[in-house]
Amino acid sequence: MNEIAIKTEGLTKHYGQVRALEDLDLEVKTGEVFGFLGPNGAGKTTMIRTVLDLIRPTSGSASILGFDTHADSVEIRRHVSYLPSDLAMYDDLTGRDMITYFANLRGGVDESYVNELASRLQADLTKKIGDYSSGNRQKVGLILAFMNKPQLIIMDEPSSGLDPLVQREFQTMMREVAAEGRCVFLSSHTLSEVQRVADRVGIIRQGRLVDVEFVDDLRSKAVRKVELQFTQPVDASVFAGVPGVRDVSAASHHAVMSFDGKMDDLLRVATERYELVDISTQEADLEEIFLEYYRPEKVS
Amino acid sequence: MFANVFTKATRDNLPAGLFGALALAFFLFFAMWVYRDVDTSFYFDLPAGILELVGINPEGEGTGAIAFGSIYNLMGAFTIAGLALSWGASSIAGEERDGTLGFLLGNPVSRRGVLVSKTVSMVLIVALMSLNLWGLGIASAAVLDVSTDGLFVGAITFAMFVNSLFYGFLALAIGAWVGRRSVASGATAGLMIVGYLAANLLPLADLEWLARLFPWYYFSSSAPINNGLDWAHVGILIGLSVALFIGAYVGVQRRDLREKGTDVTLLDRLRSHPSTEKLIERLAGSARVSRISTKTLSEHQGLFTVTSAIMFYMGVLIPPLYSLIPEDFVEIFASFPDALVAMIGGVDMGTPTGFLTGEVFALVGPIAIIVLCASIGARALAGEEESRTMGLLLSNPITRGHVVREKAVAMVGYAFGFGLVTFFGTWLGVWLGGLDDVGVGGIAAISVLLTLFGLVFGGVALAISAATGRRTWATMGTTGVAIVAWFIFSFFPLSETFESLTVLSPFDWYLGSDPLLNGMDWMGAALLGGAFLGLVAASLALFSKRDLRG
Repeated sequence: MNEIAIKTEGLTKHYGQVRALEDLDLEVKTGEVFGFLGPNGAGKTTMIRTVLDLIRPTSGSASILGFDTHADSVEIRRHVSYLPSDLAMYDDLTGRDMITYFANLRGGVDESYVNELASRLQADLTKKIGDYSSGNRQKVGLILAFMNKPQLIIMDEPSSGLDPLVQREFQTMMREVAAEGRCVFLSSHTLSEVQRVADRVGIIRQGRLVDVEFVDDLRSKAVRKVELQFTQPVDASVFAGVPGVRDVSAASHHAVMSFDGKMDDLLRVATERYELVDISTQEADLEEIFLEYYRPEKVS
Repeated sequence: MFANVFTKATRDNLPAGLFGALALAFFLFFAMWVYRDVDTSFYFDLPAGILELVGINPEGEGTGAIAFGSIYNLMGAFTIAGLALSWGASSIAGEERDGTLGFLLGNPVSRRGVLVSKTVSMVLIVALMSLNLWGLGIASAAVLDVSTDGLFVGAITFAMFVNSLFYGFLALAIGAWVGRRSVASGATAGLMIVGYLAANLLPLADLEWLARLFPWYYFSSSAPINNGLDWAHVGILIGLSVALFIGAYVGVQRRDLREKGTDVTLLDRLRSHPSTEKLIERLAGSARVSRISTKTLSEHQGLFTVTSAIMFYMGVLIPPLYSLIPEDFVEIFASFPDALVAMIGGVDMGTPTGFLTGEVFALVGPIAIIVLCASIGARALAGEEESRTMGLLLSNPITRGHVVREKAVAMVGYAFGFGLVTFFGTWLGVWLGGLDDVGVGGIAAISVLLTLFGLVFGGVALAISAATGRRTWATMGTTGVAIVAWFIFSFFPLSETFESLTVLSPFDWYLGSDPLLNGMDWMGAALLGGAFLGLVAASLALFSKRDLRG
């Protein structure tokens, strides 16, 4: 099987004057959970619908597992599953009917695996879709996405309505898919979910891909809040020249600052003139980076 | 808040209302234009009883009497009443079905406020439609220099207004009591159609006392276009409307409102009952979802039941009714001039086959099967897109073409089911009525042609649905095509200029050869079947090319 799960080259989609996608180059590999992040209206769903051949690109091309998304769309769908955002299904079918319907369209699936998924997600399949709460409807959608063990699972905002316990199980299921050498493409605008489960993230804004990073690399770039405690009163200006220090303030024996530089540089300056008693740093917060990427000036 | 709900309801419904009024006015204008080309004196050689029966003033003369009588009295009255009942059913029950009523009532607005504001909106739009029809009718006559002497244009449009409000209020009241839009619109439409038939047919069999039980009688029996308003009849319709509004008010105040959800059907109950569980599970469960076509077949059972039941009812009822009609009426039917006969498919109403064709197969049959097939065609693709299930459906390893073909197969299944019900109902009616002149071969031929005819309009809806992804466009477009086709078939034969174009109408392919009398018209069948296949092919091409919604 091809090692590249999704590849887009110059993928562009315009709706009249609206540029929903602009020259998008992206490569997603098998064996990873790829988080696709962006604010509402950034172009995430347009990108997904384009690679699934539901809408056609204005220019550029895309392939999934080595197949052309337009010419080989049916072949692609044998190996791919899709969970749309704001999931809609057939209200008059029961959850079980819905699964049977899609299983038939796929030429059959392993029923025992369906039951296993239903058990893990605590899904009741006997009710009609129209009578489910949004969370329970989402569980049926997740079963549909996982039941045929596809090489690539594309999900658009999949966690909406799920309670925390089911969310955790769902994240475990995604990691299992990646561990088996398959791929999850997870589109979301909530960072916390992606942060927990993804290997890499792509950030899209106003139809353009702003950045693609490993989550760990992203975390290392994150601005940390550092608090230093000394034996005597300190002067904030001492730290102003240290690379990576921002928003420094000092009060009596304490100095507090935002810091994304090398800790070695900071400690050297801190201990040159004062006696350091304690140091505390907060966990890198990707939310800050995320918000940073969302700001308009990030888009060139 | 009242103003907000009123404004939204008006903004949602006014375009359809104005479009309907303009379309009717256009047909009136066109009918006048065609009739100007025709020597209409033959109409006024007919006995007064017959002229009154078809809504034409015996004392009047000329184009105006015929055009207003044929367009406003029937097509116009049905169109406005149909729209009003749709708005009435949507007012409360529609909001409940969509799950928006609870959301709406989360704002500082009372149930009473919602009911009153939506009702005022409905009354206003129906009034605007009626005013438009009045103004445009007078203007059309003036532009074409057609006389309106002896005609009460204001009376007919006011009677249409009052009649439409009754059906709007009836649907509103049923919806307010049961909270189910489909029940409200289905029951009201059923009463409207049955009432129309009863009001027009029962007096022929000396059963006028029975006809008085049906509200349509109070619209049509006094022939307001000829005689002006019968204020007693107007008062009855207004009184009933007020009573229905009070009923709606009480209903919506006292009841638990429904959340968005599904109904528990008989099938659901059988499916969960131990004694029927296995069988029904196989039918309603695994068989239903075995493929797209079978699932589509399961989605239109209600509409199929209603439309085919109407055809069955008509097929069984009309043949015995023919034998009850007094002999002198039959003789009058037989003396209809050719030009008038052309309007009902060239059949001889004085014969059993002609009467049956005119009463069952010329109008009711086409309407019923067009409603069925066009609904299936419109919902087939656009319905999936609008309900946002198309993306999920196409995430399976199937082509777009596969979806179109499966939906078309389901439509064919329904159409042939409808044809079979029509055949057996008519055959039973003919047997009950002892009409030996009507052969089984003729019944089979007209049933097959009706089936294929319905498929053509289902194909039109499918093609528009495939091209646009919008169900409303597909429904309205198909309705427009059907009305134009009926217009060509009904009016073009009367005009030397347009007569040769009659062959363009699918109505002509279906009824032009008088199949109940003459048996199967293979050329007509080939044209209808070919048109359907062509439209499915066009749907495949159109659907494969565009960006999908949902």
